Amino acid sequence: MSADTKAGLRLNTGSQPKVGALRALSIALAVLALFAIPKLTGNEYWLALGVSFATMSVLAGGLNLVYGYTGLLSFAQVGFFGIGGYAAALLVIERDWSLWAGVAAGGGLATVVGLIIGYSSLRLSRHAFAIVSLSFALLCMIVARDWVELTRGAMGIPGLPAPSMNLPGGMRWRIVQPADFYYLLLGFALFAHALIYLVVTSRLGRAMRAIKQNEPLAQSHGLNPLAYKLLAIALSALLAGMVGGLFVFYLTIVDPSIFDFYYTETMLIMVIIGGPGSFWGVLASSAVLTALPDLLRFTTDLRMVLYGVVLIVAMLLFPGGLGGWLQRRRVARWRRPHPAAP
Amino acid sequence: MDLNFYAQLLLNGIVIGVIYALIAMGLSLIFGVLEIVNFAHGEFYMLGAMLAYFLTANWGFGYWPTIVIVTAVAAALGYVLYEALLGSLRGESFERSILLTLGLSMVLQNGAVFLFTTTPKMMATGLSYSNIIVGELRLALSRLFALGLGLAAFSALYLILYYTRVGKAMRGVAQNRDAALMVGIDPRAVSRLAVAIGIGLSGLAGAALAPVYAVHPLMGFSFVFKAFAIIIIGGLGNISGAAIAAVMLGILESLIGGFLPLVLVDALAFVSMIAVLLLRPQGLFGRGVRV
Repeated sequence: MSADTKAGLRLNTGSQPKVGALRALSIALAVLALFAIPKLTGNEYWLALGVSFATMSVLAGGLNLVYGYTGLLSFAQVGFFGIGGYAAALLVIERDWSLWAGVAAGGGLATVVGLIIGYSSLRLSRHAFAIVSLSFALLCMIVARDWVELTRGAMGIPGLPAPSMNLPGGMRWRIVQPADFYYLLLGFALFAHALIYLVVTSRLGRAMRAIKQNEPLAQSHGLNPLAYKLLAIALSALLAGMVGGLFVFYLTIVDPSIFDFYYTETMLIMVIIGGPGSFWGVLASSAVLTALPDLLRFTTDLRMVLYGVVLIVAMLLFPGGLGGWLQRRRVARWRRPHPAAP
Repeated sequence: MDLNFYAQLLLNGIVIGVIYALIAMGLSLIFGVLEIVNFAHGEFYMLGAMLAYFLTANWGFGYWPTIVIVTAVAAALGYVLYEALLGSLRGESFERSILLTLGLSMVLQNGAVFLFTTTPKMMATGLSYSNIIVGELRLALSRLFALGLGLAAFSALYLILYYTRVGKAMRGVAQNRDAALMVGIDPRAVSRLAVAIGIGLSGLAGAALAPVYAVHPLMGFSFVFKAFAIIIIGGLGNISGAAIAAVMLGILESLIGGFLPLVLVDALAFVSMIAVLLLRPQGLFGRGVRV
């Protein structure tokens, strides 16, 4: 709700260009710093954290696009992630495709599946979409485990080969070292977030937010809600599928645990804490929530119990998440009468 | 011989279908009255089975006292759940209710993993290995009891909904919350009761199935996904629809399982759900006869 009062109020602040330049500069510096990390430290633990941040932030960013901006609660992200992973792995292993073609195919397959479940369930309601997306994610895990002829069952597909890329000038980049994967996934995450940012700041993003806030009103202004909802689902599925394809080659194995509900819960928490519909909030919470629990060395069970408690408390007390809370405070400050005014 | 094989599959299908129905009816009741999709529903099924296991294995309770205690405890938990968490939500905050119950499910499931580990446990009762044999058909007594309990619970729920004042009040709130309030029905009292009944049914299903399947903390998870498919197939908020869809799914799964690979059995619920959504989005039995 408060996300759009922002757009109107921002016009009055006047210092827009300067803030914009400052922001662009700090983003550029942050990206440079992230890419410089492998040069500064060879510590594989930090690189592994970086890879997991890149992966989770793409998943959370996609979920934010679907849930935060368009208002569709989706549990299907992990299904797209795993479908992308399995498709890429199988195409590379069985059909000798290159990793890049495999990843693209994985993303494409995830998109098609996303459109199918989105189209069929959105005809009924957002409620049905939430339920269908959850069933879909659970089904994926079961199919991966039980369709042994295709997926090789619970043991998964181990020993995925190290991918390589032909660089211009006859060079070949073999992606074996942790630092290589770090660059690869971070680069993809950068691309994915840039794409999401372009969408949410464009006319498309405004239409999505309008549909989230008041669907009948948006419809009466000539927007077709179904088309925008499907667009959000398709884009998030594409990104999740592609990052899944890259991630399994980093792990060198794909097995049914790629569909684990753990990923869904983690990305939901990232979106909820960061604030649904807040681009930077979700990015920041992805970074914090990747690093923090790992540094604190929680076991997975306890971490999930803690996440559950966080989810319950957040839903009871701050439904807008951290981003929403900050936003409300900022709006409240703008609304306060100016002290100098008579 | 062949005919017996079919009959055996059909019988097993009915038993499992009735248990699906117990869980799906509770889920559908809660959705109908509160417009909340309870994602923690499967965890209460798991807790019911866990409690049944501990009551029989550690404290030496018999089968019937166990069933009664588990159902009562689950209904009480439902009461607490409503008062502590769900009562503060209203129908319009659909996503909040899902995320809230999802958080609860994460706490319960992972808490159970932490406390009890994921090792499956088998609940042994006096009737574990007894069978009833009619002609060539064999039916484990524990399955037969589960079937009986399911049918009894279904009839009880039906009688409550259609032949008591409180049942009428529940149907009234499900149809139109504001109108129900206007004619003097307290939606909070009715919602509380609906949650208690729904969770109670789920606990009962857990206790009834504990002697049939292995008990472990992740059991609720795979079950509830079928329950979600069932309530969509039967029509969201339509309890009799959910019950019929549940029994149909149970029978179909059992028949298919006799001939085709396992993956098709698991996919059946999902594929039927998508097919129903495409062809008849309001569910097979529509919303005309909600709750």
